[in-house]
Amino acid sequence: MKFTISWLKEYLDTQKSDQELIDSLTNIGLEVEDVINTSEIFSNFIVAQVVEEKKHPNADKLKVCKVDIGSDIVDVVCGAPNVEENMKVVYAPPGSIIPSTQMKLKASKIRGVESLGMMCSEFELGISDDHDGIIKLDNSVKVGQPYAEIAGLNDTMIEIGITPNRQDCLGVSGIARDLSAAGLGTLNKRNIKNNKGKLKSPIQIEIVDYHACSAFAGRYIKNVKNIESPDWLKNKLKSIGLRPISALVDITNFVMFDMNRPLHVYDADKIDERIIVRSSQKGESFRALDDKEYHLEDGMCVIADKSKVLGLGGIMGGDETGCTPSTVNVLLESALFDSVNTAKTGRQLSILSDARYRFERGVDPNSVETGIDLASQLIIEICGGELSETIIAGKIPIINKTISLSIDRLKKRLGIDINEKETQTILKNLGIKTTKKGNDLLCEIPSWRQDINEEADLSEEVIRIKGYEFLPTLDIRSPDKVNKLILNESQKRISRSKRLLASKSYNELITWSFSSSEDSSFYNNLENLKILNPISEELDVLRPSLVPNLISAVKKNLARDHSSFSFFEIGNQFLSSNPGDQICVACGIRAGIKQARDWRDQENLYDVYDVKRDMIDVINHILPQKNKLEVINEAPSWYHPGRSGTLMLNKSIKAGFFGELNPKIANFYKIKDRINLFEIFLDDIPFISKKSTNKPVFNQSNYQKVYRDFAFVIDSNIDGNDVVLSALKVDQNLIKSVDIFDIFTDPSLGKNKKSLAIKVTMQAQDRTLSENEIQDLCSKIISTIEKETSGTVRS
Amino acid sequence: MDKYKDIHSSVSSKKENVNDLETLESFRQEFLGKKGSISLAMKELGKLDPDQRKKHAEELNIIKDSVLSFVKMKTEEINNEIVDKKIKTESLDVSLPVSSSSGTIHPITQVIDEVIAIFADLDFCVAEGPEIETDYNNFTALNTSEHHPARQMHDTFYVNSETDSMQNVMRTHTSPVQIRSMLSQEPPIRLIAPGKTFRCDNDQTHTPMFHQVEGLVIDKESNMGHLKGCLEIFLKTFFETDSLNMRFRPSHFPFTEPSAEVDIGYKKKGNQLIIGAGSDWLEILGCGMVHPNVLRNVNIDPDVYQGYAFGMGIERLAMLKYGISDLRTFFENDIDWNQHYGFSPLNMPTIFGDLS
Repeated sequence: MKFTISWLKEYLDTQKSDQELIDSLTNIGLEVEDVINTSEIFSNFIVAQVVEEKKHPNADKLKVCKVDIGSDIVDVVCGAPNVEENMKVVYAPPGSIIPSTQMKLKASKIRGVESLGMMCSEFELGISDDHDGIIKLDNSVKVGQPYAEIAGLNDTMIEIGITPNRQDCLGVSGIARDLSAAGLGTLNKRNIKNNKGKLKSPIQIEIVDYHACSAFAGRYIKNVKNIESPDWLKNKLKSIGLRPISALVDITNFVMFDMNRPLHVYDADKIDERIIVRSSQKGESFRALDDKEYHLEDGMCVIADKSKVLGLGGIMGGDETGCTPSTVNVLLESALFDSVNTAKTGRQLSILSDARYRFERGVDPNSVETGIDLASQLIIEICGGELSETIIAGKIPIINKTISLSIDRLKKRLGIDINEKETQTILKNLGIKTTKKGNDLLCEIPSWRQDINEEADLSEEVIRIKGYEFLPTLDIRSPDKVNKLILNESQKRISRSKRLLASKSYNELITWSFSSSEDSSFYNNLENLKILNPISEELDVLRPSLVPNLISAVKKNLARDHSSFSFFEIGNQFLSSNPGDQICVACGIRAGIKQARDWRDQENLYDVYDVKRDMIDVINHILPQKNKLEVINEAPSWYHPGRSGTLMLNKSIKAGFFGELNPKIANFYKIKDRINLFEIFLDDIPFISKKSTNKPVFNQSNYQKVYRDFAFVIDSNIDGNDVVLSALKVDQNLIKSVDIFDIFTDPSLGKNKKSLAIKVTMQAQDRTLSENEIQDLCSKIISTIEKETSGTVRS
Repeated sequence: MDKYKDIHSSVSSKKENVNDLETLESFRQEFLGKKGSISLAMKELGKLDPDQRKKHAEELNIIKDSVLSFVKMKTEEINNEIVDKKIKTESLDVSLPVSSSSGTIHPITQVIDEVIAIFADLDFCVAEGPEIETDYNNFTALNTSEHHPARQMHDTFYVNSETDSMQNVMRTHTSPVQIRSMLSQEPPIRLIAPGKTFRCDNDQTHTPMFHQVEGLVIDKESNMGHLKGCLEIFLKTFFETDSLNMRFRPSHFPFTEPSAEVDIGYKKKGNQLIIGAGSDWLEILGCGMVHPNVLRNVNIDPDVYQGYAFGMGIERLAMLKYGISDLRTFFENDIDWNQHYGFSPLNMPTIFGDLS
């Protein structure tokens, strides 16, 4: 909402400085977003006159003008089509800053001709979008006069942000009321004559849809002249960035910004007999004032006559019945449209208008009559004509809202000390009448404050006007603890996993919770994951997996010439678009160079075993107990079928997948590196049951360990881990560990054979193992493995 | 002494020949070995009468001790020479570079952990809610009816709902966690809810996904002064400053009444923002007393219970505290950026240690 200090002062008698007014606005919740001191901006701009106009010697569309700027006559090259001799113009000398572009003007040669300064259009001055030609000033202005003075721009424009509840401050009068309540001055009322018309209106008004429009006041005005508005009115509109159009339109705009009362004015001669306010029917259409054709649905509130739709109630009028310079008889509308209906229609048709903005927030019902009176008074003054009586169809609702306010509860909510008298004064200045009833105050809420509905709302009014700086700063620490736990187990585990992975040289990434349906199609059916109004094609589904976003990150960094990638993300992936149908996954990717070639090492690439190890480390870190982890040879389709597995935790729990990305997907991204990844389903990992903080008893054998190495030739499709398991089960007490230390294939071993070597560690708890016992164990290990793998020991 | 004169002089002269571990060992053998002269002399002592035996033994032991201490001293000396020699031959060029790769924690995670550390100290727990929400939880229950103008300030992403006639939404704020938490637990309530939020907006200063942290306190006493106290401790601790200019400014949120926006003072020093001091104001968060309608919607009696709520943007906190100038870079996943702005994994924020 924009207004100027001078406009404000028509409603507010104040001795306060501009700065004090600006500060108070923010302090009472009318946040100042912009302050423009127009007299400063336009200080360089003066009135000048074109004394001679010639064609530019080197350019068809340019003209070279001699311009009288009072102190001198200068040459200015100008491209405006409307420049002509004797025209009075707005001149900007070199050094001026052009408001619309913020460019500093310099004297320069344009196509070989010296040009000193420029003649400005409204667009360049930032006062409208009009850049068809330069401004033609009235001939009565004097050359050399400051432009700001004649344009009424000797003022300060303030723009404030109005929160959706403060519909009452969408007019200058409401802003003045709030400032006066805050002690910044006394509120003036505009003197509106109740000018009873003598004519009888020839246009009757009928409301069919009372829900959408509860009241419609109309006034017929005969024999008006829709001339250009007088300067005071044009300047007022320009000062808040509006473009003057014609007196009738300008007057309705003025009243809207002055007292927050949207109006409309129809060319009465184009109305077919009568006004009918009704619900639209699907298939109807009309051309609005914005020159667009709108096709209506059922149930929109339209203003119609006997034959056609004239406009959308509370949103926008129609082109056909709009006022033109030749309009003679008009009908002025001041109506009350339903906020929900207006919002719905505006949204459906995507029409933004000042009227819609106000009606969907709620307009003061009592402004129906004052608004029409002020506008008709101005029309008679400016356009002449004869007034009819005001016809009101429907009924202006009487607002009769009383809220009981307890001072004790007020103090309890705000934490301040305030007495009844101060409270009453604040409320009274806001137009809220109070009467005492027992210990409480009965507060009568004025018609313009539709946002005040209960005691809590009054508490805001009181502290807003008293000042938020009076809120105390209280200690919130209390001896009684509210929460036993700060983080729950899932939250702790996420945090631990993140920090563990980062400590293993992974970079944590945070990627969108959405993804592109093209990238995501490899991972799941996307039917239930579509975003209905995506921001772009690349982000059109809820992500079914964290994998595609991380691969995109690899691709992106490959393009930046990186060659080593260790990324992880812990976040949610979605099963459907229902709340809670999400699972928390830790996904890690390792690709490219693990060890760069340097003076010490050869280049070494990441492989599947790196991510397998990381995955196991995460699980053991978040579930710190003796875990049984086994790999089974299956993984979903986005993994390389021969280089992937599922990690099973304690037999039955699928802890996650790991492996190499399916080369077909890597091809899709045109990535040549092998991408190794893991996905851990954190929600599926059980929580540790902590019965005691004690660790298990420490039990160490003091007897010697014995190590023996064995090598077997076995079929190459036998899993190494099966050999380890066979060895381990020979004697679970004495065999402490089995480690594979060598694997190789060689033609000499036979077709599809490999050699696998293990180191077995043996130790007893209570004795040193005898040579016989050791021999015995070794033979058993050999026979067991040979039997279970159909392999042979190598000697 | 005369009796062992030969041994004694032999010891003295043979000492001269010792120059490495080998000659030292033969020296030791010559005197103390099984057939060494001192060992043999020791055996002879048994044949003497007690008086003589004592005297001779004393003499012999003096010689023996001198041999032992020589051997010990010489062993050390020779070993030191050997190590010295070895050291001289095995120097390395320690200027050669070593590669070290370190991972990073994303600034969003780090800042959320900082926020949790501070509020944990004030007895707040951490609550969560899903990223997809019902329209009811995201708006209606928060006193924002279908046609409330405040809804238009949220550019909401919609998704299908299988169970509801209203479409589900990607939550536009973390406030629906208030609703979920109040439905699932009785007051007193003190929680924060950090998480992802979504709005259909993508430009210089907006990303379609961002993070917020919500705060909610419900009990019988907490008033707007407590809200102010709570936020003051938080902001001072977070920005690690003892002096903080803080301003409460009236605003409007459908789910709080009264509502406020909070500004903090700052000044610019070169390219650096100094938070806390200064006369310029930066908007940092929104807050207010929970609207009675919100309490009614979760079956809490607003005549008995009251409390406050606040919400702030994690990215904004991170940008201000760590001097990150462009919001969009948080989600661009550029390794160099993550290495530059990321945090060491061992740098877990705590109140007892370092917050940052």
